[in-house]
Amino acid sequence: MDWSSIYPAVVLTVGILGVLLADLLTKGRKPLVPIGMTIACLLGAAAWALLLDTSGTTVLGVLVVDKFAVVFTVFCCVTGAITVFATMRGEAFRRPGGEFLVLLLTAVLGMNMLAMSADLIVLYLAFETISIPSYVLVAMRRADAKSNEAGLKYVLFGAVSSAVMLYGLSMLVGLIGGTSLEALAMAAQTPVTTQPMFVVACVMIFAGFAFKISAVPFHFWAPDVYAGAPSSVAGFLAVASKAAGFAALIRVVGATVTAPLQPLGDALGSLWPQGNVWFGILAIAAVLTMTIGNLAALRQREIKRLLAWSSIAHAGYMLLALAVWSEASLAALLFYMVAYLFMNLAAFLLAGISIRELGTGELSAMRGLGRRHVGLALAFAVVLFSLTGLPPFFGFVAKLQLFYAVFDQGFVWLGVIGLVNGVISLYYYARVIAAMYLQDDDDEKPAKTMKLAVPDAMLCMFLVAPVLVFGVLWWGGLWDWAVVVVRDLPYIVGAGS
Amino acid sequence: MLSLLVFLPLAGLLACWAAPAKLARVINVVTCGAVLALSVSVWMQVDYGAAGYQLEESHAWIEAVGINYHVGIDGLALSLILLTTFVSFVSAIASWKIEKQVKGYHMMFLLLLTGMLGVFVALDLFLFYVFWEIMLLPMYFLIGIWGGPRRQYAAIKFFLYTLFGSVLLLAAVILVVLQTDTWSIPQITAMAREAMTNGDTAGILGSVGLSLAAFIGMFIGFAVKIPSFPFHTWLPDAHVEAPTPISMILAGVLLKMGGYGLIRIAYPFFPTAAVDMGLMVSILSVIAIVYGAFVAMAQTDFKRMIAYSSVSHMGFVTLGLASGTEIGINGAMYMMLAHGTISAMLFMIVGVIYDRAHHREIGRFGGLAWVMPKYFIFASFAFFASLGLPGFSGFIAELTTFVGAFNGPHQTWAIIALLGVVITAAYYLRTLQKVYLLETPDVYKDASQYPDLTRREWAVLLPLAAVTLYMGIIPATAMDMYSGFIVNHLVPVLNVSVGLLTGGLV
Repeated sequence: MDWSSIYPAVVLTVGILGVLLADLLTKGRKPLVPIGMTIACLLGAAAWALLLDTSGTTVLGVLVVDKFAVVFTVFCCVTGAITVFATMRGEAFRRPGGEFLVLLLTAVLGMNMLAMSADLIVLYLAFETISIPSYVLVAMRRADAKSNEAGLKYVLFGAVSSAVMLYGLSMLVGLIGGTSLEALAMAAQTPVTTQPMFVVACVMIFAGFAFKISAVPFHFWAPDVYAGAPSSVAGFLAVASKAAGFAALIRVVGATVTAPLQPLGDALGSLWPQGNVWFGILAIAAVLTMTIGNLAALRQREIKRLLAWSSIAHAGYMLLALAVWSEASLAALLFYMVAYLFMNLAAFLLAGISIRELGTGELSAMRGLGRRHVGLALAFAVVLFSLTGLPPFFGFVAKLQLFYAVFDQGFVWLGVIGLVNGVISLYYYARVIAAMYLQDDDDEKPAKTMKLAVPDAMLCMFLVAPVLVFGVLWWGGLWDWAVVVVRDLPYIVGAGS
Repeated sequence: MLSLLVFLPLAGLLACWAAPAKLARVINVVTCGAVLALSVSVWMQVDYGAAGYQLEESHAWIEAVGINYHVGIDGLALSLILLTTFVSFVSAIASWKIEKQVKGYHMMFLLLLTGMLGVFVALDLFLFYVFWEIMLLPMYFLIGIWGGPRRQYAAIKFFLYTLFGSVLLLAAVILVVLQTDTWSIPQITAMAREAMTNGDTAGILGSVGLSLAAFIGMFIGFAVKIPSFPFHTWLPDAHVEAPTPISMILAGVLLKMGGYGLIRIAYPFFPTAAVDMGLMVSILSVIAIVYGAFVAMAQTDFKRMIAYSSVSHMGFVTLGLASGTEIGINGAMYMMLAHGTISAMLFMIVGVIYDRAHHREIGRFGGLAWVMPKYFIFASFAFFASLGLPGFSGFIAELTTFVGAFNGPHQTWAIIALLGVVITAAYYLRTLQKVYLLETPDVYKDASQYPDLTRREWAVLLPLAAVTLYMGIIPATAMDMYSGFIVNHLVPVLNVSVGLLTGGLV
């Protein structure tokens, strides 16, 4: 038995205990000690994951280590580390306490397990390991009523969708007679998938995933939770939590991708030539998610709520890649996620900094920021244009690859809906930019100019520089890498092209 | 050479950024002057009689997906590059008056110049699209920060309209690249030509329906920029709000991007679809010409009137294109170049009087000719050039376009378009009378408030007038430059597809 594959998880677990202990021993007097330990342990886990043998070894048949698992582990660890930095610079607390760090580490541990899970039970456990610390992270600012409300909403929504998912899983396990994804993949070749029960189970399981990735109609929690939580935590949920949801979704859909046509009839089959139950669910969810996300974002007047709806819309684009399901589309999804990591973490970081500086997240308060706070506004503008999908930024090439894959599979109408959604999104992203740059006629002379503090500037550079650089150079290499990772996925029998 | 041309403005941008704000204007004018000089030296090097592209540079860029940094020009692109550098240079001089956030303004100006030049030299669809979109960012800020009272609305309207067009263009580009497996514009053009000569009406996409859809997508994408009816409504708002030099660039160069895209990409890629849609395009053009002229006549705002006259004149571009004849497409190109200088001049003329009077109400002016005689001469010069008086470039453009349209398959519509010429003459003459002739109201009699043209205004108007006059007398200089691609490639291909569609006979 080769245990090496769970060493990153071990590192994280040891880190959780270590940080807890360090926090107790220093009694909060040396806050930098647990912070340093947390970052070291996140980066250590990421580094160790990169060193793993990715030949698809399994541990006890429930955890699998392939390139995909490694990528998502690294992705979530890096996001976690950035979140710690962002929390220190954001609007909520300057020195996150030990309990914050422990919860964050636990959530990352859950993500690590989720990315590696090859078994439905482990998958569910990992899901909960992410969810429960997240609930507390959201409600961390105990004195803030909004934060508490957000936490409660998150728990309620989470509990319901989790229960629905568990119910779906139990039906699925009953149908396939096993809990492993391998059993699911084998059952997918048999007529069992033509039973209505199978479709019902898939829809219910999707409810759980949809909650994590904030897809319509399980998205209602996101704006309230993102607005109530510290912006660094919102960024963590929008990036790492969403990525984990997609990773699990890819594993489960991948196992059933060869399932024969569902009993819903030929009508759906003609719309989705692949004829798999998932495609209908995913395509509808994708179109609804991006359209509703974008339309709702148009009305927002507060930066974090706006970013929340925008992150819902982005989940829609990513679902589109899953719905058409090809090697290229999955690679495009991975590629998109890397772009999304930089863009969205940067957006939430900048939102946090501006709320810290301005005392409010209202767009109207950002008036004239372009002249008063040159660096902040410039970074924000780059990130927002990138989120819109304009060249020469990372967001553009990510969207290009994604829609290229969608067109490649023959779904021109899905692609066009997605592209037009990009135009809608310009309107609300540009509202932020307009507030910063276009509305400054109150006073000709700016009151006082501010500069980003050095740590803020460094963190911004770390996140914004890739948005620029990958938009123009080097994204070819990243794309090649994404294709390699996707080719390595097990069970993706149906991935064509 | 071409890379230097495209990225020299970026160097200017960096210099602007590093230098103190008071130097920004100088840096902008010097950079634009250098770019103009460079483009003239490019002109000297290009032999526009030769087939294919020249001064080509090609480097692998994103190898994973076959994208190259591929630039090169032919006479067609060259003529528009010269227009771009020329109009930008005089606009840079006209930008001297900008007082607000000087540094940022000139940086955006130079970024815009890079985007415009990039579009004309790009021979790779990805590169083309990137430059195409890069233009939007500085334009948004130039209208939005330095514009008039409703600038925020105008800026976002411009941005949304053009981005909507762009994504349809992008969708069509993705379809093309998926089928042809290359991003290279010359290669795809060659493939489309080969398909035509093989008698394959399905073209590069392998399907008539898909070709039509892709052509319509591209057409809308480019038509928003031109702007063709019914995608023109962003233009009056953008023009009215934009500062004078930006209006000059917008009308003088940016609108030409759409026509260039149609001639370089949409028509050569989908010749059968282009012929198929010829009637539709003709009808839209005629609506743009006549409706644009009528709406221009109804305007009380001087600048808005000029903006609608642009809609009307750009209708000739699509009308000439839709004719599919050699002379018609040559005329369309000539209209683009002529309109480039004339419209820049017209916007400068509005700008001159706006700087003095701080309003643009046609009804409130009167008798300016007696107060500012030199200004009046330039104004009437531009008006007559724009309404197509013989001797000016506008006349050549309209004449050739009409000859082409009458020789083409949609003559009926061309006859209606003649109406537009009459209305154009009517609104220009009426405006000339109302603003410059008649009695001078007392407010305008104060010579200290209403001085005649300053030296800087001379520097802007005189070169524009000279080029307009030159192009009106010796049209061959410009026409020889760009007609190679049209005569040797585009028209033969369109003729073949006409033959294919009507059953074999060319």
